Amino acid sequence: MTRYLRLLGIQLRASALLAAQYRWDFVVDGVISLFWAFTAIVPLFVVYGARRTGIPGWSFGEALVVTGWFILLQGILDGAINPGLAQVVDHIRKGTLDFVLLKPADAQFLVSTSKFALWRIFSVVSAFVIFGLAFRELGRLPAAVGVLESLALLVAATVLLYSLWILIVSAAFFVVKVDNLTYLFSSIFDAARWPSSVFRGALRTVFTFVIPLAVMTTFPAEALLGRLERSTLLGAMVGALVFASLARLVWIKSIGHYSSAGG
Amino acid sequence: MIRIRGLTKHYRVHKRPPGLGAAIRSVFHREYTLVKAVDGLDFDVARGERVGFLGPNGAGKTTTLKMLSGLLHPTSGELSVDGHLPQSRETAFLKKIMLVMGQKQQLLWDLPPAETFELNRAIYDVPKDEFRKRLDELISLLEIGDQIGKPTRQLSLGERMKCELAAALVHGPRVLFLDEPTIGLDVSMQVVMRDFIRRYTEQFGATLLLTSHYMDDVAALCPRVVVIDKGQLSFDGKLEALVQKVRPEKRLTLRFSAPVAKERVAELGTVVRHDAAESVIQIPHDSVNGAVGRALAELPVVDLNVENPPLEEVMSELFGRSRAARAEGESAS
Repeated sequence: MTRYLRLLGIQLRASALLAAQYRWDFVVDGVISLFWAFTAIVPLFVVYGARRTGIPGWSFGEALVVTGWFILLQGILDGAINPGLAQVVDHIRKGTLDFVLLKPADAQFLVSTSKFALWRIFSVVSAFVIFGLAFRELGRLPAAVGVLESLALLVAATVLLYSLWILIVSAAFFVVKVDNLTYLFSSIFDAARWPSSVFRGALRTVFTFVIPLAVMTTFPAEALLGRLERSTLLGAMVGALVFASLARLVWIKSIGHYSSAGG
Repeated sequence: MIRIRGLTKHYRVHKRPPGLGAAIRSVFHREYTLVKAVDGLDFDVARGERVGFLGPNGAGKTTTLKMLSGLLHPTSGELSVDGHLPQSRETAFLKKIMLVMGQKQQLLWDLPPAETFELNRAIYDVPKDEFRKRLDELISLLEIGDQIGKPTRQLSLGERMKCELAAALVHGPRVLFLDEPTIGLDVSMQVVMRDFIRRYTEQFGATLLLTSHYMDDVAALCPRVVVIDKGQLSFDGKLEALVQKVRPEKRLTLRFSAPVAKERVAELGTVVRHDAAESVIQIPHDSVNGAVGRALAELPVVDLNVENPPLEEVMSELFGRSRAARAEGESAS
């Protein structure tokens, strides 16, 4: 365990060195991610308009909390999950996954931590600014229990998002080019900016159980607002565990299909 | 150390004739062929032995190396490296081996090689003191002190390959699988790499299995060669014996003090090259003494040299024969 923590530290250090080496890239990317974070709020202003009566059951301030979670999760996805896992596709195509598999350490861990986009820290900061604005709008502070619950859900949401990406990347062992699949899921993830109650019928089921967007943003927002039922919290945690186990299983099976490349 | 028995690796490959029409048809209906990359291979390598693993392109060398390092699962057969089953990829096994492929790189592209070394230290769990000592040795042997601090992408190919080798050796492996480690390097850099590899294997008693298209690599490093073709063993023995088997002749180079006619030289053997001052002739192994005696007695010889034909020629003849045999087999069937 401590060895893996040390490894994570070294990988993070490498990403930090890279960011320091290309400092202007860091600044420009940081400014762009700030820009994207704030444009994420714009649709909310459109929907709520001057009278602020947008989504039933969600006041403007409450919907803003959901958007905050969306920006936070997007920061985690683009900063910590996608950079490393996107490289797997390249590794498979070029056969350089050989070097990962030759190492006496868990291959899934090594590829997952191989790269971080540190400028995405700006998204995390933006998310907290938005939480601050939202609760100012609501005229109150979140309860301590709500904060704890939402932190538990942050872990569950990150695990879910990571597992989903592992499942997508595992497809690369069979079909090699999965870039389109990651674009598709990035677009689907975009729907997580809205409270899940805007989706009805089949779409709502899909976004709760198949691609659990609701668990990623709506549930943590409800927890922070102090209105999430304990059973939902528990269900989300169990769901995240199931997804993670499934992703691990699929990854191990997929690695068996690796045929290397070049010679 | 390495034991291979009846090793096979078969692939099912999608077969498609050229052209757009065939490409479209292949979307709906695919034909597959079975490619026998390795087909019943047997050989052993003793601890500390250095073996050249040769064969024409597509003979199955890299596939065998990948099976030996646990990257590919064999279709059938037995395989063991220092008592380990490679495909199980046990930690103890992975810590004992290394694989360097001249065409692929593990160094982090945008960061200095020192960062990859540090990462590998953590992955292989090498104690800090041991790592420092080994790295210092590698840096001095490979003369890469000035390079390990520069981003990899700024290094020349030769500098990068030396750093690749160092990155693969920081955990002190005892089994070295080298797949074309000197490809694309200039002659002086090839010599540096060869010297280094020989010194490392001698110092640590490491076992080496080397594939290379540069015969000088093989001649300098490997007393024994294993030749495979179409996934099957075609020769296993001393390099010298392979040369005699393929080209049972020696080369006699004669330098003259006065011009000599080609016809006179031709009496000694087959003339490979001839001009007024120098002549190269090919002579059967057992006639060398007689030919040398005659040349010294009958011709104005000022200098002579007897040697084996160049290894490159030997190998290209060997591989050429196997290509011809293959073409013949295909046309007969």
